[in-house]
Amino acid sequence: MATREAGKKMIMLKSPDGMEFEVEEAVAMESQTIRKMIEDDCADTAILIPNINSKILSRVIEYCNKHVPTTGATGAAASDTVAPAALAEDLKIWDAEFIKVNRATRFNLIQAASYLNIKGLLDLTSQTTIDTISDNSLEEIRSFLSTKNDYLPEEEQTIRRENQWAFQ
Amino acid sequence: MPASSHPSSPASPLEDGNLLREILLRLPPDPSSLPRASLACTRWRDHVADPGFRRRFRLHHRRNPPLLGFFDGCGSLDFLPTLEAPDRVAPERFSLKHDEGDGVRRPLGCRHGLMLILVPKPLQVIVWDPVTGDLHRLDVPPGLTTNECYESVINGAVLRTASEDAKHFQVVMVAADGDEVQNRRAVACVYSSETGAWGRFITTPIPYDADAHASCLFRRFSTSIYIDHAVLAGDSLYWQLIGNYEGILQFDLERQRLDVMPVPVPIYSKGNYFKLMPAEGGGGIGFLFMFNSNYIAQLWRRKTDSDGVASWVIARSIELDKVLSLNSEKEENMRIVGFAEDNNVVLVDMLSGFFMIQLDSLLFKKLPRPKTVSSLHDFPLHALESVYTAETRIGGGHDGADLLPNT
Repeated sequence: MATREAGKKMIMLKSPDGMEFEVEEAVAMESQTIRKMIEDDCADTAILIPNINSKILSRVIEYCNKHVPTTGATGAAASDTVAPAALAEDLKIWDAEFIKVNRATRFNLIQAASYLNIKGLLDLTSQTTIDTISDNSLEEIRSFLSTKNDYLPEEEQTIRRENQWAFQ
Repeated sequence: MPASSHPSSPASPLEDGNLLREILLRLPPDPSSLPRASLACTRWRDHVADPGFRRRFRLHHRRNPPLLGFFDGCGSLDFLPTLEAPDRVAPERFSLKHDEGDGVRRPLGCRHGLMLILVPKPLQVIVWDPVTGDLHRLDVPPGLTTNECYESVINGAVLRTASEDAKHFQVVMVAADGDEVQNRRAVACVYSSETGAWGRFITTPIPYDADAHASCLFRRFSTSIYIDHAVLAGDSLYWQLIGNYEGILQFDLERQRLDVMPVPVPIYSKGNYFKLMPAEGGGGIGFLFMFNSNYIAQLWRRKTDSDGVASWVIARSIELDKVLSLNSEKEENMRIVGFAEDNNVVLVDMLSGFFMIQLDSLLFKKLPRPKTVSSLHDFPLHALESVYTAETRIGGGHDGADLLPNT
């Protein structure tokens, strides 16, 4: 792979379950956490990514691959022919497909995006989560959270009364 | 329990305080969002009540704030809410105490959730955040106009600086002066809350149009800055000029430069309506023009070709009578009295009431005309586009001031 992508610097990412992923440095640097490691010269041959299993890490790399700006020699030619608006639209459609995952995977992706500091992925995963929640009633939200309503009845009434305008 | 102690089954992000905050930040920026979310459980309430969280919530949504309503353009500053319950923000929540010594207050514009108000005695501007109640008073620099400082020839605009925390703001004051109709210039001066000081005066001559068209109602008058609020498009603020020269005043915030440019339509011929707006699609300046009340709103856009030559083109025409399903037999006077920059919404004043039209979707909504708003004056209404998080009583949390005082 390293030879096929001649001219591009590759780095190795390792998941705790022992899988190794060879990725372009530019793709890995979509993560601000990894960018900092590389810029601070803390990354020699391979970077161990703690707490993110190979299944999730491979999805994160898939996301970064899609979102890395195409500034390379081959990338420039591609972006010359495609209008920025069309590219953005294409990314939006791709994102919508990408985030069609079960709840557990989405939560894992949020944790990974937060740890690796990938703003776009954190936006996408958190926004999807809040969109699922905010369409629901309070009871549905609580059941989604697997949490019980821990308000004392009088406490809940006070909040409702003092912010009456918001519950009309 | 910390997530790291369970590597095999990571806790839900909804259990992790930091991640939960990240998720809650993305609740819609509607006024009722936070009070409603706070009812889910006490843990959510604790996050949502935290002043730091609410500041971040406002920051996160500052590029897409909802249109909360419009302020009346003459001194009373009455608020006309535009959202429906439960997001309707009652007018009394935005009231600026009137200081008797101020004389007649004149709102100059509202942007990035800040209102700029001119008070005549002494000549000052007030920068007011209606959501947090934060208030700054600035003396208008003497010498903004060389002849007598009539507050009516002064205009201005406020904006927050692009810094990540959006704590600082700038005020740009503009005026036109000169002794004769033929010899006018525009002057601008910028205040920065970061330095706490006004900058130097920046000027540009205003051309005299000896061939001003006879239909121009003001061709014999000295050119001044019109009372309508400024428009922010790209890195520049724009104001409409009135008088002999029919054009636009541009202040480039990056280059700190003042320029004038002509417009290709007769702004001040009887029955025409003109309203500055950012060009559709972003970047530069544009305007809405309605010709002799035929109800066709033309959206013009200034474009620059590859040689740097600028020209005006009509980007789109909107048949407002069709959009509003007007009965064509019934003649209605139509005035554009307000414009919301972030939401691309115009406020149209008609005999039957106010109509709010979203220019992308062309969806409209009728609003009751507030008793205080007269159709006799030309003062514009000012759109308040902001993330409303104040007055939410959740566990006693109090919003901190959003603007840092400098002294």
